[in-house]
Amino acid sequence: MSVQIPKTLEDFPNSAPRWVGRGVPRVEDPHLVTGRTEFIDNVVLPGMLHAAILRSPVAHARIVSIDINEAEKLPGVIAVVTSDDARRWSHPEPTVPEEWGTHCLAGDKVRYVGEPVAAVAAVNRYVAEDAIELIAVDYESLEAVVDPVKAMEPGSPLVIEEKGTNVMLQRVFTWGNVDGAFGDADRVFTEKFRWHRLGANPLETFGVIAQWDPVDESLTLRASVQSATHFGLGRAAVLGLPSNKVRVIAHPHGGSFGGKGGTRGTDVTALLTRKAGGRPVKWIEDRAEYLTGGGGQAWDRHYEVSLAVKNDGRVTGLDVKLLDDMGATGEGFGAISTAKPLASFTGPYAIPVARYDLTIVATNKLPQSPYRGMGPPPHNCVLEQMMDIAARDLDIDPAEFRRTNFIPKDSFPYTIASGNEYDSGDYEAVLDKALALADYGKLRERRDQARAEGRCVGISVVSAIEPGVFDWNAYAIVGVQGTGVPEGATVSIDIMGKISVRVGFALEGQGQYTLATQLVADYFNVGFEDITVVCLDTHSAPPAFGPGGSRLGVALTGAVLGACGKLRLKLAKVAAGLFQMDPEQVDLVDGKLVAKGVAGVEMPMAQVVGTMLARSDLLPPDVDPRPEATHVWTAPGRTEVDEEGRAKSYLTAAQAVHVVMLEVDPETGLVEILEYCVVDDCGTRLNPATVEGQTEGSIAQGVGAALLEEYVYDEQGQILTSSFMDYLLPTVYEVPATKKGIVVTPSPFTPLGAKGCGEGAMHTTPAAILSAINDALAPMGARATEVPASPNRLWTLIRAAQQPAAGE
Amino acid sequence: MKPARFDYAAPDTLGEAVSLLERHADDDVMILAGGQSLVPLLNMRMARPELLVDLNRIAELQYIREDGEWLAIGAMTRKRAVEESDLVRRRQPALLAATRLVGHPQIRNRGTVGGSMAHADPAAEYPALALVLGAELRVVGPGGERSIAADEFFKGYLMTAMEPVEILTEVRVPILAPGTGWSFVEVARRHGDFALGGAAATVRLDASGSFSEVRIVLFGVSGAAVRLGGVEERLVGQRPGDALFREAGATASEGLEEPLSDVHASAEYRRNLAGVLTIRALGEAVARAGGREPGQEERR
Amino acid sequence: MTAQQKISVMINGTMHEAHVEPRTTLADFLRGELALTGTHVGCEHGVCGACTVLLEGRAVRSCLTLAVQVDGASLTTVEGLEEDGKLHPIQQAFVEEHGLQCGFCTPGFLMTVHELLYENPDPSEDEIREALGGQICRCTGYQSILRSVRLAAAKLRNAHVAGSTQHS
Repeated sequence: MSVQIPKTLEDFPNSAPRWVGRGVPRVEDPHLVTGRTEFIDNVVLPGMLHAAILRSPVAHARIVSIDINEAEKLPGVIAVVTSDDARRWSHPEPTVPEEWGTHCLAGDKVRYVGEPVAAVAAVNRYVAEDAIELIAVDYESLEAVVDPVKAMEPGSPLVIEEKGTNVMLQRVFTWGNVDGAFGDADRVFTEKFRWHRLGANPLETFGVIAQWDPVDESLTLRASVQSATHFGLGRAAVLGLPSNKVRVIAHPHGGSFGGKGGTRGTDVTALLTRKAGGRPVKWIEDRAEYLTGGGGQAWDRHYEVSLAVKNDGRVTGLDVKLLDDMGATGEGFGAISTAKPLASFTGPYAIPVARYDLTIVATNKLPQSPYRGMGPPPHNCVLEQMMDIAARDLDIDPAEFRRTNFIPKDSFPYTIASGNEYDSGDYEAVLDKALALADYGKLRERRDQARAEGRCVGISVVSAIEPGVFDWNAYAIVGVQGTGVPEGATVSIDIMGKISVRVGFALEGQGQYTLATQLVADYFNVGFEDITVVCLDTHSAPPAFGPGGSRLGVALTGAVLGACGKLRLKLAKVAAGLFQMDPEQVDLVDGKLVAKGVAGVEMPMAQVVGTMLARSDLLPPDVDPRPEATHVWTAPGRTEVDEEGRAKSYLTAAQAVHVVMLEVDPETGLVEILEYCVVDDCGTRLNPATVEGQTEGSIAQGVGAALLEEYVYDEQGQILTSSFMDYLLPTVYEVPATKKGIVVTPSPFTPLGAKGCGEGAMHTTPAAILSAINDALAPMGARATEVPASPNRLWTLIRAAQQPAAGE
Repeated sequence: MKPARFDYAAPDTLGEAVSLLERHADDDVMILAGGQSLVPLLNMRMARPELLVDLNRIAELQYIREDGEWLAIGAMTRKRAVEESDLVRRRQPALLAATRLVGHPQIRNRGTVGGSMAHADPAAEYPALALVLGAELRVVGPGGERSIAADEFFKGYLMTAMEPVEILTEVRVPILAPGTGWSFVEVARRHGDFALGGAAATVRLDASGSFSEVRIVLFGVSGAAVRLGGVEERLVGQRPGDALFREAGATASEGLEEPLSDVHASAEYRRNLAGVLTIRALGEAVARAGGREPGQEERR
Repeated sequence: MTAQQKISVMINGTMHEAHVEPRTTLADFLRGELALTGTHVGCEHGVCGACTVLLEGRAVRSCLTLAVQVDGASLTTVEGLEEDGKLHPIQQAFVEEHGLQCGFCTPGFLMTVHELLYENPDPSEDEIREALGGQICRCTGYQSILRSVRLAAAKLRNAHVAGSTQHS
């Protein structure tokens, strides 16, 4: 009998499920609100040293010499490492695209400001920082490549000489007869856009404690790491260690959003513990390190986008040309973000053909990393601007223009031009609900009245898809290999009837341990207090990837319910033996093992478990006596990639419509959000409160992206935003209160019908804000095409638009 | 992000502090007041004194008193104390308004009145306030005490008229005279940030409704807070009105010397902002001089 | 090498004596010397607010205060909020209203809210925003935190009413 994973709550062996689908308080929270959660910087090991990393102050220079003598002499300093150690004990960093990496400590030259050059392990961080100041590095300055367009020109200085070019990847993907569609179009719209660098900035930076075991030449890493297994495999490859000699203990971490980074710093720390003879070494990345050299920079994009449109409002073709400035190497895996848009290239629209002209270029900047949404947010932003440009030109209301082009609800599963399959949806229902929630007609009246008063007010109605449950095949076009991402869980019952769920990922903030608890409580009809969720290290955890790519809620549900199902069968088999019945006649019902159709023949779960633990002599011969089961879930039906990069990649497609009204102060360029309405459909909501939290949090990050956040480099490649005074995160003042509505179209492909929703509104908010700004600017003939739409940028546009009038 | 080593002294009295500075006149000494600007610089090792003299234990420097036509404020008075002072609320609302724009409550709980004055950040509120109100700053050093008018105190980007061995002890702010209108406005990318630009103004109107006195100060737009003497002169004797304000704004904008340019805003932006803020500040101040609260108006 | 200085400080009702280097920040002292690791460090330049603690009842950045400066002072950290092993009403409110996700910024928020509500039991929306403006949360988007603060205020007011009834 194969394991059945419930499709709905009705499939649970429980007549009255109480927890799944409710916004229950999180089991994580009591530890967090009391400050007891074991974040990595709380951990102290005996003999532990503290690392500080010396980083390049210049963007591009040859290293003539490094003198570490004075640093080594400083009392309290135990180990100093440089590129000599890196060459001795490590390989270049793995990258995407492949072979665009360097060693973790710069050798012949430095390639960006913030690149690690040397590192110190000392008795405390203060002394370690004293010591790195004593390291003398002689740099011979080289011309920096900062502009990606210039980087592609012949004769440009090369970031990595051996490559012979700065172009990391250049390819055109064509899906269908794109030239035909543009040739047959009634109107073609083309615009250029610039999306500036921004990134994750979790409140906790990255941290690691590395401990080398000189006896069996193994490494233990305790780290604030998002995906422990994946991280460990990467470190083993870099450090030249067998994969089973790197053990990763993931710690709860203070946010990640894809941008926790830490790989290179971990490799440096690993060199330090090895040089220090195996004393544990802690490296806590500080905020300046995070901003200039960490995992927090993503999406540095130059777009040129064309849309083919018929006079009746149908969009018939999309042509996107993207130049992405990846920074010095591919080590941050930021290039993945250029591939993921394939999972939802044409958004929620039935655009039959599309083209993607992709160029990735190396420059003397920090290598890009992933960030929430992994690439589609800028893509959606430019697509939605094009939709508005077309609607405005055709004089069609932007809401109706989108309705015309939506994928109809009866055509799911629907395969988009770039190859992915959307599972389900009812986009018009979401749109209608959003328009009603926003009172769209009245909103337009308010805008028009404000305009009549001379105010600069605009409205947007935008929509986007959030691909959920990632698969590696989505990133094949940038050289990532393989298909299938596992998530495992072990569910185990002890002799007192208490249940443990063992997983391979640490807390990150999305409430996943609560979700596991909800599922198990309902499956076995027990209370929250009877369940505990623990994270195992990579040597003992079931196969796991952890959070990422809006997958964990769905994947964990599959893993936990699969494990519960296996355990149910096991318990039934044991109970059947005790009842002397056929296993098919016994089942788990409301937490008890009952003989089907035989009144009064039943046994509490704990009694069955007790028998398994204590009386293996009574068990049927083919029953494993451990009262536990493990299930590893992977997304079904994923396909190999074809020659044009097409595959069934992300399993689910959540959809949202945002309606925003805002005002631009034409004198200062400041934006004030007046109304924010969001309606989304991410299928079944397993814990509506945590889903809402993801929505609200990702709206905030979207506001930051649209208006505030930007890494700025000058022409010499010097970074000008190395503190939170200059890299601006949104505060309670900038994030609007939202009106929210939901539509639920369960996914036919996932356990319980849930869709990935963790990245959430980040897919939509930047587009919604920029669109509303452009609606506000439209009467004066101005158009904002840069993100973030900073006060300076908007004021400059407005001034340029007003200049002819001022000259009269 | 850990400070480099330094020696530390926390004298209990002003006298001790003065003699400490005198003894270490040849050393690299920095004075620690609230620390909300200095400690970040220490943490980043951009400030690395040999000796840090902490004034936080000097109780005699923490007070707010009415002294004739003045409010006398001890240099080590926390901004939060200013914000919560009934005396300040009644006697000098512009000081209250400026204080509430400084950072956030957690910063104002530590940050001091004297610290902001002595740091002289071009985008900080307090130096601008001192200039527009015509504050006096009392300093004490080995040679005794002296009083410096705000116009003389601020010497440019992070520079004041104080000698390294001197300590700022008191900030004296004139009590707002009845009939005086005031304004303190700023534009920041986020609430609580250092301003991209700000303006402070005080005005008095004569019986005919014309300006009899005007003071306008811009801050955050150039290397130091700056008083717009030329604009002030041209306004006196004129009747307030939108056209006049626009003219004043244009003059302020055109006359702005070496506007700041940074990652948040260009020099051109700040030049424009100088005019916009001048207009807004004059509008608010005139409204208050006429007994109206500008907050009652529609947000534009 | 700078001599260490001896300090005595009352933290969460317990007196601690220690020798510290003058350059040691209060945040590092609390975390490193006293193992009070509930106070988190997010930026070390005073912007994020994760390290906020109460110094004589006032919310301050422990990354911008030196340990030597708190000699003789009284501090409260997140570890001091629980009473008799029970969550403080503010903590309880954050749990109930999902006012946290990763929880790293939360101790700083709790201390700031503590200062706010003990000075102003019934704050307006503007007053809540004013207090929270200096605390950065990267996860929640603040809406659930605002709800938590409103709930915490109500809980504390009710507790106060209940308390005074008992006394009278």
